[in-house]
Amino acid sequence: MTGPAHAQPVDNPFPSTYQPAAPEDTLFLDATILDGAGNRHERASLLIRDGRVAAIGSAIDAPGGVRVIDADGRWITPGIVDPHSHLGSGSMPYTPVELSAWDVNEIGDPAVPHLYVETTIRTQDPGFAAALSGGVTSLQVLPGSANLFGGYSVVLKNVPARTPQAMKFPKAPPGMKMACGENPKYNYSELGRSPKSRMGIVAGYQEMFDDAMEYRDKLARFRHGQGDEPSHDPKLAAVAAALDGEVRIHFHCYRADDMAIVLDVARHYGLQITAFHHASEAYKIPDLLVKNDVCSVVFANWWGFKMEVFDAIRENAAMLEAYGACVTLHSDSAITGQRLNLEAAKAMAAGQHAGLDITREVAIQWITFNPARILGLEDRIGSLEPGKNADVVLWSDDPFSTYARADLVYIDGALAYDRSDAAMQPVSDFILGQPARETRP
Amino acid sequence: MSTAGRIKNATILVQDARIVAIGADIDVPAGIQVINANGNIVTPGLIASATYLGLVEVGSSLDTDDRSASSEGLGASFDVRYGLNFNSVLIPIARADGLTHAVVMPSGSSQTPFAGIGALINAGTGNDLLEEPGIAMFAGIDGPSSSKPGQSRSAEWIVLRRALSEARALQDRGSGSEPDPEVPLRRADLEALGPVLDGSMPLVIRTQRESDVRQAVELSVDFGIRVILYQADEAWRVAELLAKHKVPVILDPMANLPRRFDNIGARLEAAAILHRAGVPLALHSWEFQMSHNAGQELRQAAGIGIANGLPWEAALESLTAGAARIWGIEDHIGKLETGMIADLVIWSGDPFEMTTRPLTVMVDGYAVPLETRQTRLRDRYMPLIRGTN
Repeated sequence: MTGPAHAQPVDNPFPSTYQPAAPEDTLFLDATILDGAGNRHERASLLIRDGRVAAIGSAIDAPGGVRVIDADGRWITPGIVDPHSHLGSGSMPYTPVELSAWDVNEIGDPAVPHLYVETTIRTQDPGFAAALSGGVTSLQVLPGSANLFGGYSVVLKNVPARTPQAMKFPKAPPGMKMACGENPKYNYSELGRSPKSRMGIVAGYQEMFDDAMEYRDKLARFRHGQGDEPSHDPKLAAVAAALDGEVRIHFHCYRADDMAIVLDVARHYGLQITAFHHASEAYKIPDLLVKNDVCSVVFANWWGFKMEVFDAIRENAAMLEAYGACVTLHSDSAITGQRLNLEAAKAMAAGQHAGLDITREVAIQWITFNPARILGLEDRIGSLEPGKNADVVLWSDDPFSTYARADLVYIDGALAYDRSDAAMQPVSDFILGQPARETRP
Repeated sequence: MSTAGRIKNATILVQDARIVAIGADIDVPAGIQVINANGNIVTPGLIASATYLGLVEVGSSLDTDDRSASSEGLGASFDVRYGLNFNSVLIPIARADGLTHAVVMPSGSSQTPFAGIGALINAGTGNDLLEEPGIAMFAGIDGPSSSKPGQSRSAEWIVLRRALSEARALQDRGSGSEPDPEVPLRRADLEALGPVLDGSMPLVIRTQRESDVRQAVELSVDFGIRVILYQADEAWRVAELLAKHKVPVILDPMANLPRRFDNIGARLEAAAILHRAGVPLALHSWEFQMSHNAGQELRQAAGIGIANGLPWEAALESLTAGAARIWGIEDHIGKLETGMIADLVIWSGDPFEMTTRPLTVMVDGYAVPLETRQTRLRDRYMPLIRGTN
């Protein structure tokens, strides 16, 4: 969806400084491997070398100097990708400052597409290490849903770091948060200002897109020697870049009717929406979602915490999958984000119970390949295929079991977490030296 | 599967809502309805020890939220029993996930730290959820927070102690006497504490920090009352003390994050540590999910506890007979034994796996329907998915 003239390249002012840790070339033997590409390999081996997947199959020889791990009885999956997290933006412990002025939303202006959520990230949030112990290797942190245009998201590698930049996934395509429905409505009604209704919200999108189109046209005319250069407007520039297809739109939306209206607005402006997040009524409109090539990022079982999620059902993900629509799961929570594998188990089981043929090799894609795809990173992460980043989880058991634990987690071929070695379990600065964490003698 | 152990190839005979026989060799009377469990696991119905079932429909819709009486001037005398909605769409969902009983708590009253009186509900299909009113008195020692600035936990303990002292003094003086005007509690609220003082009603204290857990033990000793700790993330740090004083803990085995300074010590091994020390244990799931997905999330919480060292049988007990003992209902609920109420679940597999579902749920001897508003929605839209609409 490329416009006639690009308003501006998306030039992130906080570039990634991520450096992979030293990779540990490793051969895993005799595992059950769910490769994230839709396959299940029994009694299979996986070789990772130089930070990448080197081979997957049944008879792989161990090259010299490679660590060999007997994974008999254990399972291997790609590193889990959480496409919707708020870790780091409002870090634990949630003190009154976090609760009354959470960094995740810039409340007061419903259109703040130019904000960067990486400017809120506290790398010492203990939630990162907890997510890592659940196999999460990459995550997208998004601004909240108080605003129509909430700002840029950021994709992080789940590694201990001193700065947000050092966690940033290099060259990840930019993403932007938008929101519809109850949250913006509620927030601005509280403030006594527009938009207080769904009508006001939709008009708010249209107004912003109209202004961004005009801005883009002025800029294009100026570049062709016609008219004055428009003064730089960071908000309009951000939205114009989105209209040019340079920014992936992550749209917080629950209800089928809300999503259908948003799709019409998007079509009018030639905007491709990458994914509806939460999308609890996506199962009611799979046809529209497929037609518009929009993925749904959904919960396994959350429902009823507000009115627009009252019709959520546990079969949502499985029904979308069965229809042929793109679907991923997400956490939206530091608690759920530690066990997305069990979210996949719940969503898979609900589908199977309803008679839908959802296998583990498909369901694992809901938390690996599919989220990688909506982040535009499916060429690098999300599946275990030769040449891709060696983001790997070795599970003690079937990852769809409540009893499964991540034994080892690798990011870019480097060991990031080892359940049997406390020295290989990141500890946030906040936790360090807290007597309440220490075992009494 | 009973807490006395596992019985293989067992038959359970249910008559008039009670289990009349259980064992490997049971004579089945003629003409009785037979449900074949096909070798699947059968357990007692699960008991959730902390929920708001029947009190809330939509979390953010305050018009559906009967959890708190903070605006009505009621303190310890607030009682959830009159507000239970047996038509709540949450109940069938809880039931279809294997829950047959739940403790329903008040969330707050106008008299901090008291929240009020909870109830035990029965998730059957009758038109009254209420199984047993007055199951416990609830209080919360939370310390200061953004919603309660300046609310020192010391003040909360002082008010709690004064209230108990004055309630006892009022009892001692006789029913015709007047409360001490110095104590800022109404007569009805003081009288509501009577059953706590005479030991017929436990006092559930929601608190997390180790120092408050210790204070709760001291309170139970000083007043000779039964205290139950709820949400006590740091209780594992004083497991021996709790075991010595037989103070039960209702715990979320998934709680491992330092969400506040009060639960920096939260850890996944807490359930296992408390069990190993001999602390009576029941479980709850995280507050966001404890009502809307009451059964499924409780099963997951137990599974996480097992994954972190809690023995499987102990996890089952904490959701059945162990919980029943804590709530004083063990004489008729929580076990598959002759004479007990027939509350049971036939599972498609291990009840603590998320891939497992109940095949049959029996409450009070009736196999209840497993249909929910959610399965109705699913079935309405399934033809669209299958292309058969």
